[in-house]
Amino acid sequence: MTRKQLLVAAAPVAAAVPLAKLGLAGAATPASPPSHAGMAMAMDPIGHAAMIGNDVPAPGGPNDLAALLYPPKPLPHQPGRVREYTLVAEDRQIEVAKGVFFSAWTYNGTSPGPVIRATEGDLLRVKLANASSHPHTIHFHGIHPSNMDGVFEIVEPGGSYTYEFPARPYGMQLYHCHSTPLKKHIAKGLYGAFIIDPPKPRKPAQELVMVLNGFDTDGDGENNFYAVNGPAFYYAKYPIRVRRSQTVRIYLANLTEFDPINSFHLHGDFFRYYPTGSSDQFEYTDTVMLCQGQRGIIEIDFANTGRFMFHAHQSEFTELGWMGFFDVVD
Amino acid sequence: MTSASAPAERRLPGPWRLWALVPLLLLAGVVALFASTGTSLLDLVGRAPPPLDQFNVRRVEFKPGEIRIRVTNPQRPKLTIASVTVDDAIVPYRLDGPAALGRLRSSTIIVPFEWVKDDPYTVGVTSSSGIQTTFDVPAAVETRGPSPRGFLGYSIIGFLVGVVPVALGLGWLPSLRRADARWVAAFMALTAGLLTFLAFDAFAEALGLQAQLPGGFQGTGLILLGIAASYLGLTFISQRFSMRGQRERSAPLEGAALATLVAIGIGLHNLGEGLAIGSSIALGELALGTFLIVGFMVHNITEGLGIAAPIAGGANVSRARLAALALVAGAPAILGGWIGGFLTSDLLGVLFFSLAVGAALQVVVEVGRYVARRAPGGLRSGHVVAGYLAGIIVMYVTGLLVA
Repeated sequence: MTRKQLLVAAAPVAAAVPLAKLGLAGAATPASPPSHAGMAMAMDPIGHAAMIGNDVPAPGGPNDLAALLYPPKPLPHQPGRVREYTLVAEDRQIEVAKGVFFSAWTYNGTSPGPVIRATEGDLLRVKLANASSHPHTIHFHGIHPSNMDGVFEIVEPGGSYTYEFPARPYGMQLYHCHSTPLKKHIAKGLYGAFIIDPPKPRKPAQELVMVLNGFDTDGDGENNFYAVNGPAFYYAKYPIRVRRSQTVRIYLANLTEFDPINSFHLHGDFFRYYPTGSSDQFEYTDTVMLCQGQRGIIEIDFANTGRFMFHAHQSEFTELGWMGFFDVVD
Repeated sequence: MTSASAPAERRLPGPWRLWALVPLLLLAGVVALFASTGTSLLDLVGRAPPPLDQFNVRRVEFKPGEIRIRVTNPQRPKLTIASVTVDDAIVPYRLDGPAALGRLRSSTIIVPFEWVKDDPYTVGVTSSSGIQTTFDVPAAVETRGPSPRGFLGYSIIGFLVGVVPVALGLGWLPSLRRADARWVAAFMALTAGLLTFLAFDAFAEALGLQAQLPGGFQGTGLILLGIAASYLGLTFISQRFSMRGQRERSAPLEGAALATLVAIGIGLHNLGEGLAIGSSIALGELALGTFLIVGFMVHNITEGLGIAAPIAGGANVSRARLAALALVAGAPAILGGWIGGFLTSDLLGVLFFSLAVGAALQVVVEVGRYVARRAPGGLRSGHVVAGYLAGIIVMYVTGLLVA
């Protein structure tokens, strides 16, 4: 064998040497600092416990959820007074987590839908206009005639229907679509809070509404994100400011689909929990558990100022977006 | 008038290369016309389904205090990284690369994370459309970057599983020289058998690897390309060898030239084998114990026998040349180890394994031609048939040690 033959024979080996160099160069590049132009988010390597403020990956601006968080003012007891609401069912792309868009079905463009509030004895007239591409209804929790129950009155796309019934009993109620498939219509975002005030007004408080929900963005029957009133981690990015001097009252409802239960846990303090808000009975605790559709009223008298976390005590839900902070000030 | 006179040289005037452009120009015109109609044509027959929006998770690496996730967009529409989870918890991350990935573009997601050694992890990458792609890591093991230590380590492993067994196998040469022609033919057939086994093995590896590639890379086409390139490349080389020998063009190769060809075929296979071992170690999928190293040595020693057999019948070959043959066949395992251990390309793996398939097949053909002409009784002799089957059986049985 001549030298030339040997060279030819060794060619595959020789040819592979530059490849290896290429490979080593390629493997070495990620170690160099990443370019800022290509970075989606610059965040410190911190855990969730400390994730608060501007570093939190939550969508939206500081007051985007004000209409869902702060309920309308209660009106004094006046039997027979008419309270009118209009809900428009719309298909809408909503940002449920930073940069993640979900094809939602909404009442009035948000999920949860608007807060409906009445005083016991008011005559409620709620008009549902269906501007979406699917048939929908509104099913209210409470006491009402069977033809106002949102089960038999299907509203086709383009149609409308007005639900009319006296508001009772007082407490924290809720509403949701009852079209079939039921699971789908709830998971897509058709639900909201429904507050009925007692004839004797509750004592003044800083009132908040919290609807616990989740979003199954990839349609596999499991929620990818959990939240309060919509976007994941929203109240971690924008803590809820409250004053220590006055009671904080939270109208709390669980409308999470797929997961049988959800919960609310407060750090650094205790609260009175009134199941369904329909009586004076309460439990003094820092954690409550709610099954699907369960709700109640929480009253907190903060002992201290500072930042106090609140979240689901299911750690998984917490780390998938259901957490926030109170910013308690004097 | 005889109609038998063929219309032999009736060429039209003009440069043929220029005329060859005609269909291409026509195509460009039709494409432009079609593109100008927009999507209206599609509306006639239906609507396109939404994209899957699944990422292709190429590699997950564990470094001290961080997890690196390499993702590729396998689909035509853009795909945007919007959220990242580790074990179903949303985590902060930064990107080395763009967040919005065009077709077949990749980014590395760097997650600061205090992972626990040997624990299983599930990483998830969610697109802006909410579709989550998850990837399971059975046990977290630190991925080492290129270092002199690692370089040395892969070199030693490659040397042990590649060069050493081939060199040892060449030690059968004195014995083969004393065997009669029928036995030499049997060992030549054994060489063909083991090379056929290696070709099948490499083909299966290539198919398995390409299945993990995004469809856009057309892994099967790449395999065909690799096989064709190495088969034809080796055919060309063997042609050159036989011309050197001043023999007629169709004469089969023999002696050192055939041994060199066998060595190249085996070398290409060992390149792929080294790459597979290297990347398995790097990704923590392979526990490379003493047993496995010994297994590879036993498995590969027959490769040395395969190189020795063609030389046995011919003239003496110097020790330097034998050493060179051992290096050609064995050293690519070292190179493969480096590439597999330090580089993140499964694309290269597919290419290397398919090159090995073509090379091994070509050498089988070459050995077959030799045996058919030179062996007593040709291809149909009992020694040859038994030798060929024995080659496959030996590889299968010793393969049990490393499977």
